[in-house]
Amino acid sequence: MVDLFGNLVDGLTFVMGVIPILTITLGVIMGIVAGATPGLSPSMGVALLVPFTYAMSPTLALILLVAIYIAANYGGSITAVTINAPGTPSSVVTAFDGYPLTKKGKPGLALGVSLVASTVGGIIGTLILIFFSGPLAKFALKFHPAEYFALAIFGLTTVASLGGKNWNKAFIAAMFGLLLNTVGIDPISGVSRFTFGLSFLYDGFALIPALIGLFALSEIFKQLEGGDFSTQAASTEKQEWPTASTYWKLKNTIMRSSFMGTIIGIFPGAGATIAAFISYDVAKRVSKHPEDFGKGSLEGVAAAEGANSSSVGGALIPLLTLGIPGSASTAVLIGALMIHDLTPGPQLFLSNPDIIYGLLASLLIANIILLVLGFFGARLWIKVTTIPKTVLFPLIFAVSIIGSFAVRNSFFDVAACLAFGIFGWLLRRYNYPVAPIILGMVLGNIAETNFIRAIMMGGWTVFFTRPLSLGMLVVAAASFAVPLIQARKQQ
Amino acid sequence: MAKIFAEKRVKITLKGIGLILILLGILAIVPSAHGAFPDKPIKIVVYTGPGGLIDISARKFAGIASKYVDVNFVVENKPGAGGIVALKKVIQAPADGYNLYACTKSNIAKFVQVGGSDYIDALSWTAMLMADPECIITHGTQDLHQWPDIVANALQNPGEQNWVGPAAGGLDHVTALKIWDAYGMEAKWIPFKSGGKALAALLGEQGVAYVGNPRDALGNGDLYIAAVSSAERLPAFPDVPTFTELGMSGLENEYMWRGFALKKGTPPEVVKWYDALFKQVTADPDWISFWSKGGIDIKYVAEEAFTAQVYEDAKVFEYYLRKSNIIQDEAVGFLAKIASGSSFSILSLILVMIWLSASYGVFKSSHKAIVGRVMIIGFFLLVSILFLVQSLNFPSSSDVGPAAVPRLWIFALIPLNLLLLYRTFRNEAEVSDSGPRVDIVFNFIGFLVVYLILMQVLGYFLSTFGFVAVGLYYLGYRKWKNILIISGSWILFSYIIFYKTLYVPLPLGSIFESLF
Repeated sequence: MVDLFGNLVDGLTFVMGVIPILTITLGVIMGIVAGATPGLSPSMGVALLVPFTYAMSPTLALILLVAIYIAANYGGSITAVTINAPGTPSSVVTAFDGYPLTKKGKPGLALGVSLVASTVGGIIGTLILIFFSGPLAKFALKFHPAEYFALAIFGLTTVASLGGKNWNKAFIAAMFGLLLNTVGIDPISGVSRFTFGLSFLYDGFALIPALIGLFALSEIFKQLEGGDFSTQAASTEKQEWPTASTYWKLKNTIMRSSFMGTIIGIFPGAGATIAAFISYDVAKRVSKHPEDFGKGSLEGVAAAEGANSSSVGGALIPLLTLGIPGSASTAVLIGALMIHDLTPGPQLFLSNPDIIYGLLASLLIANIILLVLGFFGARLWIKVTTIPKTVLFPLIFAVSIIGSFAVRNSFFDVAACLAFGIFGWLLRRYNYPVAPIILGMVLGNIAETNFIRAIMMGGWTVFFTRPLSLGMLVVAAASFAVPLIQARKQQ
Repeated sequence: MAKIFAEKRVKITLKGIGLILILLGILAIVPSAHGAFPDKPIKIVVYTGPGGLIDISARKFAGIASKYVDVNFVVENKPGAGGIVALKKVIQAPADGYNLYACTKSNIAKFVQVGGSDYIDALSWTAMLMADPECIITHGTQDLHQWPDIVANALQNPGEQNWVGPAAGGLDHVTALKIWDAYGMEAKWIPFKSGGKALAALLGEQGVAYVGNPRDALGNGDLYIAAVSSAERLPAFPDVPTFTELGMSGLENEYMWRGFALKKGTPPEVVKWYDALFKQVTADPDWISFWSKGGIDIKYVAEEAFTAQVYEDAKVFEYYLRKSNIIQDEAVGFLAKIASGSSFSILSLILVMIWLSASYGVFKSSHKAIVGRVMIIGFFLLVSILFLVQSLNFPSSSDVGPAAVPRLWIFALIPLNLLLLYRTFRNEAEVSDSGPRVDIVFNFIGFLVVYLILMQVLGYFLSTFGFVAVGLYYLGYRKWKNILIISGSWILFSYIIFYKTLYVPLPLGSIFESLF
């Protein structure tokens, strides 16, 4: 323990230098931009910079990349709140309440809460990473495919409460997302499914074009159909920003979602999106005002952002302690370590403690810098909501097209984005929620591969004979049934 | 006076057009009269995202190669379909040597599976630069971690052991199949999304063995390399026995190789230029020291021997992929035959078209709300049935086959939709969230489609400028100067950020590409 603090102090001393601080600031700025641009994901932001870090010292290179990673996770919420175009899959949940707030003319409240929830979540995630990474990593390793499957099912049951009165349509949307996810080469058997012999379908539908289409494009189509776009989304008058007491009221939500985000983030592959959905669902259940969720609840924004930002700390646990990437972004970090001739894994703690603790210290500092930059930045990007719709709409189309192209440099993705946009618009016309499609596309792979893996390894009964898996499935069943019963009672 | 001016203007315009035509003519001639290769940047096309071993190899190569030749190497990541997406990019470009395909042995497995020998024939396999032997990694603190014990255990309990590794049908899986064949043993291959996730499962004691690169065991004391499939022990791992030492012959040459390929038909002088460069890079001390640390064997195998190796590998892959049912034989049964044919694709396309035109009819119908709701349900049912029929064609396996989970979702989707259909007719009053101006939406969809088509011809920048300007005008924005400024700044922004900084290869359009 003394060793840990000594190392941490060394790390902090190093990070407090001029060059590291400048590096972190640069990373945070680039991360915000990458996260806020639909089509540029945190992992792309990190990956694009890897070549530039060749010439830097390994510690500085990692600090830069991790700063981008953290800031990009926050940046996704900016466009989610201002134009209903979540920049990252995990900020879909932020859009649930963030965009309604913008429509009510209060984007400042949503932006402020999402920033504070993000940074507090990020710091809590980092502290858990610093103090408990050892035992948590051991726990994560014991996670059997059966438990991954149970987690995915748990995530899916959030659809029941997301859908509310429209649970039937919400489940159809979720099942459709799950089915879309099976298009492409089956990761288990290697057989190609539902590709119709088209090579661009071998990898299935990319998530980002679907996200942009279903959220941003369908929203514009809906507003175009409304016919009235002479107005601005928000007034140019003085904006309302959250006060200290607003934040204080949200403290429980932020703390709870941060712990949940870190824990769910640990499991390689589960990541920020499931964390945000589950945390949002829990916040809605324990809230005194569940009826506000989806209509502009600050609790909802805080739950989503706290969870997806703290999951960064969680995702770094298996990376640093085991050398195993927990998400696409951390996979790129492994590549960056290798380029600098470092082998990720537990031995890195012994062979290069300066790098590990420099990195951990930089996580704390990066969150603080993010808070400062975000505070001033929010006053800048809130201006997006004051652009007249006649100007905003063509530009959002342009961003969507280039963003969906940039994901895989593929025209198919652009066409898919447009198709998802039209389809999403039709669905929303008939009161189908579109978020469950995204949830289905995110969870489909985790659910399917682990379902099959678990059966291959332990037979059909494995889900019920492992206590952890059984427990999670029971909780999932309860979380599925309760909202349906409530909806019935209300009728 | 006015007439004279008008004539003058026509003359000036004609002159201008003439001048432009001449300039275009010169531009068209210039490329054919260019000097020696290379006179523009060379793209190294990588089939994975950034960060993997092949990506690092390509970037390291680019760095070292630029010491020897005065040319700019640009690494372009084109991930997708196990290398097919990147391959298509290379073979659709001219065979001029400006697109270098960074390939690995895993590509061969995918090419064999998807395209037979067509894809392999489309490339000329220029040089193999690296080869790392495959090895078996076990969990050092588990009882079963020495290779002879594992074999004995597997022979006693056939099919009981769980082996973990990356995707089925890839190199590591096929290597495992080969090893099992050699020993006459049976085990289960549990595929994971990546090698790293499979290693996590091994560390979590969910499997007995992992097949992969010796580098994978570095950095974690619990991982133990049980055997390596090279002819001699590796200098970086002197304690690891080879299969030959362990008493099994025929497994001394299981290598994962990495190298470069060009489109078939690249001019011989360009190939010669590359040959010289590959020789220089492989002899470079930086290159050698970087790779040798991880136990990676640096080689230089030139085209003839490399091509022979590729075709040999393809044969082995085809044998094992057929054996494990990943390459499918002809469909049996009437429905399966329908599902496999291209007629099925056409049929599904027609059905979707019918649905689309029917939904267009909805907007003209007087019973909009209810018909619209039924159309959406109909679409979901249509897709479910199309997918269900198609899934009849998937191969079955002893455990859960590839059709199981999609059918699970379909069997949930169909009753949910039928239930909704029932509820729709019982509760007709439900209001739909629609507005009065569907025409604006349809017009905008039209603009977008035209814009995407024009992008192929005119390129991203010109067509986007046009689209933004038209969009602004159509929505009622009439300040001409601002329209130009807004559209102009957007394309400037996308040029600087996406094209120049992020290297997103925005299309320049077929017209401009044929000019330059």
